[in-house]
Amino acid sequence: MSKGERTGTVLLVLAVVFFALGLKFVSGFGTRPPAPQKIPLVDTQFLETATIRKSYAELIRTKADLSDFDCYACHEKGKPPVLRFDAKHDLIVPKEHEDVVMGHGTHNRNNNCFNCHDEQNLELLQARDGRQIKLAESVPLCGSCHGPTYRDWEAGAHGRTGGYWDRAAGPMKRQICVDCHNPHRPKIPPRKPAPGPHPLHPVAAVAAEASH
Amino acid sequence: MKQAVRNYLVFLWRSGRLAFVGDWRYYTWMGVLSVFCLLGLNAYAKQFAQGLVVTGMSDEVSWGVYIANFTFLVGVAAAAVMMVIPVYIYNNEELHDLVIFGELLAVAAILMCLAFVTVDLGRPDRFWHLIPGIGQFNFPASMLSWDVLVLNGYLLLNVHICGYLLYCRYRGQAPAKWFYIPFVFIAIVWAISIHTVTAFLYVGLGGRPFWNSAIVGPRFLASAFTAGPALIILAMQVVRRVTASAPAGDTSRLRGEGGESQTPKSRAAALGDLDLLAGHLAELATIPQEVRKNILTGAMVLEARAGDVFLRQGQTDKESFFVLKGRVVVKREEGGRFRITRSLGPGEQFGEISALAGTPRTGTAIAEEPSQVLSLPATSLHKLMASPRMNKIIRSRMSERLLITDRALMTLRSIVQVSMLINVFLLVNEVFKEFYSGNLHVASAKYLFLGLHGYHALVPWIWTAIGFNLVAMVLLVLPVSRSLKWLNLTCVLCIVGIWIEKGMGLVIPGFIPTPLGEMVEYSPSLNETLVCFGIWAFGLLCYTVFLRMAVPILQGRLSKANEGQPEFGVSGAGGRSAL
Amino acid sequence: MPTPTSNTHESDQSSPDGLSRRSFLRSSAVLASGLAALAASLAPLRHLNDFPSLDQFLQKYYKELTPEEMAKVLKRIEDEVERQYGLRPHVRDLKPMNGVEFVYALNLTRCIGCRKCVHACVAENNQSRNPEIQYIRVVRLPHGSLDLEKAEHNYSPEQVPEKGYFYMPVQCQQCKNPPCVKVCPVHATWQEADGITVIDYNWCIGCRYCAAACPYWARHFNFTNPSIPKERLNLDMAYLGNRPRRQGVMEKCHFCVQRTRVGRYPACVEVCPVGARKFGNILDPESEVSSILRTKRVFVQLKEELGTSPRFFYYFDV
Repeated sequence: MSKGERTGTVLLVLAVVFFALGLKFVSGFGTRPPAPQKIPLVDTQFLETATIRKSYAELIRTKADLSDFDCYACHEKGKPPVLRFDAKHDLIVPKEHEDVVMGHGTHNRNNNCFNCHDEQNLELLQARDGRQIKLAESVPLCGSCHGPTYRDWEAGAHGRTGGYWDRAAGPMKRQICVDCHNPHRPKIPPRKPAPGPHPLHPVAAVAAEASH
Repeated sequence: MKQAVRNYLVFLWRSGRLAFVGDWRYYTWMGVLSVFCLLGLNAYAKQFAQGLVVTGMSDEVSWGVYIANFTFLVGVAAAAVMMVIPVYIYNNEELHDLVIFGELLAVAAILMCLAFVTVDLGRPDRFWHLIPGIGQFNFPASMLSWDVLVLNGYLLLNVHICGYLLYCRYRGQAPAKWFYIPFVFIAIVWAISIHTVTAFLYVGLGGRPFWNSAIVGPRFLASAFTAGPALIILAMQVVRRVTASAPAGDTSRLRGEGGESQTPKSRAAALGDLDLLAGHLAELATIPQEVRKNILTGAMVLEARAGDVFLRQGQTDKESFFVLKGRVVVKREEGGRFRITRSLGPGEQFGEISALAGTPRTGTAIAEEPSQVLSLPATSLHKLMASPRMNKIIRSRMSERLLITDRALMTLRSIVQVSMLINVFLLVNEVFKEFYSGNLHVASAKYLFLGLHGYHALVPWIWTAIGFNLVAMVLLVLPVSRSLKWLNLTCVLCIVGIWIEKGMGLVIPGFIPTPLGEMVEYSPSLNETLVCFGIWAFGLLCYTVFLRMAVPILQGRLSKANEGQPEFGVSGAGGRSAL
Repeated sequence: MPTPTSNTHESDQSSPDGLSRRSFLRSSAVLASGLAALAASLAPLRHLNDFPSLDQFLQKYYKELTPEEMAKVLKRIEDEVERQYGLRPHVRDLKPMNGVEFVYALNLTRCIGCRKCVHACVAENNQSRNPEIQYIRVVRLPHGSLDLEKAEHNYSPEQVPEKGYFYMPVQCQQCKNPPCVKVCPVHATWQEADGITVIDYNWCIGCRYCAAACPYWARHFNFTNPSIPKERLNLDMAYLGNRPRRQGVMEKCHFCVQRTRVGRYPACVEVCPVGARKFGNILDPESEVSSILRTKRVFVQLKEELGTSPRFFYYFDV
């Protein structure tokens, strides 16, 4: 094939290739957009700002049913309940109060209901010095033992603050101890975490998990 | 003024047209490049529409092959101009033409850099935010703003220098030194700055300990001066082959040369011949009559048919020649092929180097068409050059030759050799610093060289690069790389090794692990790869077009003098040179 | 230079300028098909996710907008959101309050790694759900070390906290000496008087240099158009805060400017079930952050040695 003819062939082939490319581009052949990975919306429970538990004070505030706290519906006035202990000197929680699971302090330090409750008046709490404390205002009772935490709480450093940091703009929402801590078993219970992050390109992550 | 503009437009039109004509090899090359450009453009359109999610990048590895290629190419652009130093500072005549080719490579490389940065932007439609005065230009705090300035400035510098020199050559005028020499020296300094600024992009980030090291800047320069000249060594051999007209042994295809050489008829020269020459060479008219009579002693006028030979490469005769009528072509044997180094019309000279320097003929001069040539003995030439104006014009034209000699390539080889040695030494420094002290900041280096926490995607890459660089270094030091075959292999090893080391081996490990210790690897997507190929093809396309315009101008075959005449090579001629 | 008569290999006709008719036709065919392919290669632009309107394209830099221009911009944003989601938001341009410098303190003894802060932030700040953008990343570290190389990002046990580990949420540290502000080539991100480093989403060019510069991996990029479920859109928006972003721009934690600049706590503080997060005005000696920094003996600023001077303090109780 002479040079001239070769040039002609090359140009012809080029024209055909360009035309074919043009068709490919317009038709979008071979360009499937990758299917986006499915990322479910997070469960709304993880967006809730409500505290872990509802304290007595909170129940009062929200005008909820307080019948659970009517002690003298069952107990006799003037007759302090008798505590019973087992062989290992662990408190035996009566079956009427089986929802109370004791666990306040290691080595069963708070093995006695009346460390906090007032046996003379079951609707009140008592501090170590005998002061009577309303159930809805229990903070000083906790603070009488947990001094450093109480100090932090007063400064706003312990426990969640919400609402307005700028008092001039609005009120700060404070929590009291029992909004988060169960007084009988105060350690915050473990919970299921919200889902972890999803990477932009999932394949790499799967390989990584496999090799870990 | 209008005439000047018209002239310039004609120059652009004629040289630009050349990009569209050539032989089948040319069309194949340009066609393949165009196909890749189109694929790349299509891939980029997809990215523009859908966002950078179509790449392999992520929040964890937020820069990828785009910036890796950008980093490599800034180095090539810087090194291309650094070759200017031997020519202008050390007056190395052999490298003179390489300078233009080097600067054109710099222009093509910078265009590629700008393209890579643009495709990496999330919002390229907001480019105007970068323009100082109109947008918000964070200079001097942001190294990226420095990079914008130095890269665009460098582009303008090189476009000016090349454009001016080529246009002057086209017009057959000596370039005014003040209009380009200062810019050349600025370009030398600027070349170092573009790569240092690019290095500082990485070095300045305290949060990325892999990059935050003083050695990154010097390593950049060392690797740039290895890969850049290596690329030029390869590119120049391609230019040499493509612009050669025929293998040296094949004399029958040299048009007009009928197998046996013929010397032209000659007669004594007369004053009338000098007047004819003065018509084309204005400076001659200023020579007084007595001097002209003096010059005529021993001068001859040669009447040549097409194909007659005036002088031969290697001979030691000392006449110098001036073309009175017709056209003469100077061919030179280089690397086993003949190439046209110059094509001369009326008023132009050849053979003067031997007359002035006493060196053997550097080429063979053949009449391309029936021509009339004035031959001056060496003494006459000296008398002629006693006139300062003649001296200036003759000397300025002496240096304009399209020579790509093997010696020039060997000079480049020494640049690559020294730079590779420094590059490897700096690598050793880096590896020691990372691994000896054993502190926490070594995580990225560990990932790159050894793998980390079960992730090792880059390990084969970096060891291949190191292997290539070490083999190249050894070859460069050994005399075996003086042979072009081995030198070419060495250059390929250098370029690939440094591309890996500076691209994937620098940019990616900086992101792995993330500043919070997460391991997410990166590999470019198909779309990303197509865009990269497209930009490389675009750069090669630009460089081919530049060369396609520059070589005929430097050879003298495209000049103002032959405006209006039929364009050569336009009919797809066979047998002749591709350019 | 060859004259026309020298071309002996071609048998085609020559026109005066040496160009034959056949080669002209050939070249034109290639040129035409090439140009057609060029135009066709731009076909994907048909599916452009969002093309900026003229107003968006020409919008001036945040700091140069007059109040009237800003009002127009805010209204335009409200229109855009309404068009996209069918709900009309309220977008404000909130300025920093006087005498305020925000500081964040996080109690590493208390954090249980539940990630509620992550998702509350996502909901409050209208972050993309798919692909997922989250300003806060909670990492799990083994007891005894802050070495982030040992961090686990993808823990998902049945229950947190796990024995032997502690959890550290990381988000933008609002550094006093922010590297991201230093490197942005167009001033799209800057620090305001109240200490918050903000981004003008309409100015960012998406070069991602700030992401490379940030030592805390706090800056996130919109790799494609964000997707926000309509039913979870937060309509209370701020220009420099939680208004929906577009493809190709950066975003990050901005201390919930839409809340904090009107005196409220950020969403992450309000949702934390164990009260590990503390936020306030360090210039107010009565604020809880002031008291924390005054009374706690040890607090950690991440990567302090880098000189970024974060406004984020990790502290411990026990």
